Amino acid sequence: MNRRKFLKATLISGIAISSPEILFPLITPANAAVKSDLAVARGTSPARITRAAIDGLGGIRRFVSRGDVVVVKPNIGWDRTPEYAANTNPEVVATVVRLCYEAGAKKVKVFDNTVSNAKRCYKQSGIADAVSAVGGLVSFIDDRKFRDMKLSGYALRSWPLYTEVFEADKIINVPIAKTHGLTTLTLGMKNWMGIMGGWRGRIHQKIDGSLVDVSMAVTPVLVVLDAVRILTANGPQGGDLSDVKLLNTVVAGTDQVAVDAYGATLFGMRGSDLAYVRMGSEAGLGTMELSKLKIKRITA
Amino acid sequence: MIKKLRIATQGLFLLTFLWLFLQTESKGANELGYPVKIFLDADPLLFLTTSLATWSLDKFPYLALIVVVATAILGRVFCGWVCPLGTLNNMAGLLTRWRWKTAPLNWYRVKYSILIFLLISSLFTLQLTGIVDPLSLLIRSLSVTVYPMFSYATGAAFDTVYSTDIPVVVSISEFIYTILKKTVLPFQQPFFVQGVLIGILFFLILGANLVERRFWCKFLCPLGALLGLLSRYAFLKRSVSEGCDSCGACTASCQGGAAPDRREEWKNTECFICGNCDDICPRNAVSFGFSLKKPGASLDLGKRYVAGSILSGIVAVPLLRISPLMKPAYANPLLIRPPGSVDEKAFLQKCVKCGECMKVCITNGLQPTFLEAGLEGIWSPVLIPRIGYCEYRCTLCGQVCPTEAIQKLDLAEKEKVRIGSAMVDKGRCLPYAHATPCIVCEEVCPTPKKAIWLETVTVKDREGKEIIVKQPKVDLTLCIGCGICEAKCPVIGQPAIYVTSVGESRSKEKQLLLP
Repeated sequence: MNRRKFLKATLISGIAISSPEILFPLITPANAAVKSDLAVARGTSPARITRAAIDGLGGIRRFVSRGDVVVVKPNIGWDRTPEYAANTNPEVVATVVRLCYEAGAKKVKVFDNTVSNAKRCYKQSGIADAVSAVGGLVSFIDDRKFRDMKLSGYALRSWPLYTEVFEADKIINVPIAKTHGLTTLTLGMKNWMGIMGGWRGRIHQKIDGSLVDVSMAVTPVLVVLDAVRILTANGPQGGDLSDVKLLNTVVAGTDQVAVDAYGATLFGMRGSDLAYVRMGSEAGLGTMELSKLKIKRITA
Repeated sequence: MIKKLRIATQGLFLLTFLWLFLQTESKGANELGYPVKIFLDADPLLFLTTSLATWSLDKFPYLALIVVVATAILGRVFCGWVCPLGTLNNMAGLLTRWRWKTAPLNWYRVKYSILIFLLISSLFTLQLTGIVDPLSLLIRSLSVTVYPMFSYATGAAFDTVYSTDIPVVVSISEFIYTILKKTVLPFQQPFFVQGVLIGILFFLILGANLVERRFWCKFLCPLGALLGLLSRYAFLKRSVSEGCDSCGACTASCQGGAAPDRREEWKNTECFICGNCDDICPRNAVSFGFSLKKPGASLDLGKRYVAGSILSGIVAVPLLRISPLMKPAYANPLLIRPPGSVDEKAFLQKCVKCGECMKVCITNGLQPTFLEAGLEGIWSPVLIPRIGYCEYRCTLCGQVCPTEAIQKLDLAEKEKVRIGSAMVDKGRCLPYAHATPCIVCEEVCPTPKKAIWLETVTVKDREGKEIIVKQPKVDLTLCIGCGICEAKCPVIGQPAIYVTSVGESRSKEKQLLLP
C-alpha cells in the first residue's frame, strides 16, 4: 500500500468529480484531430475487435503509459461459462490486458467482487485462465482492502470501495452488456458494483443514484463494453442460451455515460431510457446525446 | 527397527491424510481431482454398518477389504501404522510420561461393547457409527473445528501485523500470508454451528492421552475393536525368547495395553504391532514372525457385557424412532439436505457424519445438525442459507460423500434437484411492507428462467406519495430451494425470503404442488 499514491489518486478523482473535462486534456495526445468519442468494432474474433475498437480511439498508448500500474475491471460476477454472457468475454479481457502490456504497463491487475462463489466465477468465466496466460495479475478480493470513501451523495454519502482501484495509475472498465431486473440494463456504470464492499444488496433501494455516485468516484481512462454476446433476458445471471444474442461487437470510449448510452441502443433502447444514464448525464459525468458524438464504426 | 519403520509409515499416512483433507476444497473447477475420501473408503466398520443398516451393497469395498485382509494376516497394523487419529493420539501422548509400574487401566472391553452396540443397532437400521468411527470423527472434527480455528488464528495474527502499517514488516508478513493462503489456509474463513461441541469432544479424546496414552484406541475405538476381532488369528505373532528376565520394560511401552510381559498370555487382539516392546527390550528377547501357532490369551468379553451390548443396540432403535420429527408433516422445515440426498429415512441409514460435504461446500452453507434431525441424525449435514447457499452449478458434496447418502449428480441433474422451496415474508420484504425498491432475490436467482419474478406495483408511502416498486414472487414450479435469495436478502437477521424443505424432490410426502 502506498499511501501517497492513494491520496494523489483520490485528489485527482476529486478534481475529476467537480469537472471531468479538466482531466481529459491530460490524457489526450497531440494528434487529437482524428479523435473519436466512441469506437464500435464488429467482427467474429473478440480479440481482434477489442484491439480494433481501442485502435479506433487512437490506440492503447493514448490511455496507458510506460510503467503504469493498471486495473482492468471486468464483470466476473457469476458462476457461468462464457457462452452464457453473464460475465465479460475472457478474450476481450485478456486482449485489454495484453494491450496494456504492449503499451509498457508495469502491472495489470484484474479482480471483481463476485456475487457467486469467487473461485468458481474466476475459473468458470474463463477470465482467470485467459488473463493469467497473458501475464495479468488475477487476485481475489481481500476484505481488508475496502475503505469507506466519500461519495457525491446522489444516493450514497460514503461507501466502502476497493482501495486497489484507487492506488492504480490507470483504470480500465471492461463490462458486458446484459439485462437487469431493476436497472433494465447493466453496462459500464453498473459494473462498478464490483468494487463495492459492505452489504451491497442495500444499494438497490436507490440504485441509480448509487451507480452515479460510485461512477463519479472512479475515473476510468477507458471503457471497453463487451457486446460479443449480450444477455437479453433473465439477466444479470442468465443461464438460458436462448436469451443470449451474438452481436460480435465491442464498444470503446472514454465517457462512461456515452458508452452506456450507446450500449442501450444494442438492446433497441435509448440511453435516456436508463435512469442512471440520465442522472449521470445531469450530474455532468458525461453525455448521453449520441448525436453529438463522433462515433467511429469499424469492421474487423 | 520395527519402531522406526512404523513411525515413518505413520508420518507418511498422516501427511497423506492431511494433504487430502486440504484438497477437499474447490479450486473453481467442477471436480476436485483427488481421491479425497479414500481413508473413509478403507474403513471396514463404516462399510459394514452402512451395509447392515441399508441391507444393501452399494459398491464393492476394495479398500476396506484390503484393510480386512491385512488385519487378518498382520494384526492391527491399521491402528499402529496407518490410522491418522491413532497417530495424533500418539503425538498427544508425548506430552506425558509412560507410567512405569503403575497398573494400567483395564477397560479394553469397553470398545468391544461399543462395537457390538453399533453392529446390532445398524442391523436394525439405526446407523450411529459415524459418531464414534475414528475416521469420521477425525475428519468431522478437523473440518468443523480444528481447521476453522487454525484459519482464524492465522488470519488474526497476520491481520494484526497488517494493521500496524510498518512498511517492511507488512510486506514480509503479507508475502508469507499469501503463500499460506495458496497452500494450507482455506479460501474463506469457515464458520460452523456445533464447532464448539464437536471440538470439545475431540480435544477430550486427545486429552485422554494424559490419563493413559492411546486412551481412545485402547478403550473406546469401535474400529479398533472390529480390527481386534479380525486379528484374533493373525499369522504375524510375537515371540519372547528365553533371554527375558521379566523386567517389565515392555509393559510400560506397550501402546495397545497388550500385556507383552505375559509371554503366552499376550493379548494379540490388543497389539498394534507398534514394535515398542521389541525396541525397548534390554535383552533383545522380543521378535515378531509368522507362525500358525495357537494365539495367546483368549479374548473374553464376558457374557453379561456382550448380552448387555446387544440389548442396548436393540433398545436404541425404537428409543430414537419415537420422535415426532419422524413424521414428515412435523419434520423440521429448516432441515434442508444437500442436493442429491436420498430420502430422509435412507439418508439417516447412510450418512456417517464425516463432515466431508461440510468441508467441501464452497459457500460454507452445509452445517452439522444438532437435534434438527433427531438424535439419530446428529451432525448430519443441513444447508443453512443464511450462512451459505447452494451454488447452482456445484456438485462437490455428492462427489465426496463416502456412502452415497448424497448421490453424485452430474451438472444437468443437479440443476433440476429441488432441495426446498423459497417463500416471501411479506411483512419484512422492502417492496411489500416498506414501499422501498429492492430486487436482490430476483437478481441472484440462478435458474435459467428465473424462479423469482417481479410484479410492478404502485404503492403509497406515509405521505400518500405514489411509488413504483417491483414485488418479488416465487414460481414454485421453478424454484429449486438453493437459498441464494435468502443468503443475499438485504434484510439482515430474519430474512424476508427464506427456504424450507417443502417440495424437496427426494421426499414423496413433502410435495406441495400437484403435478
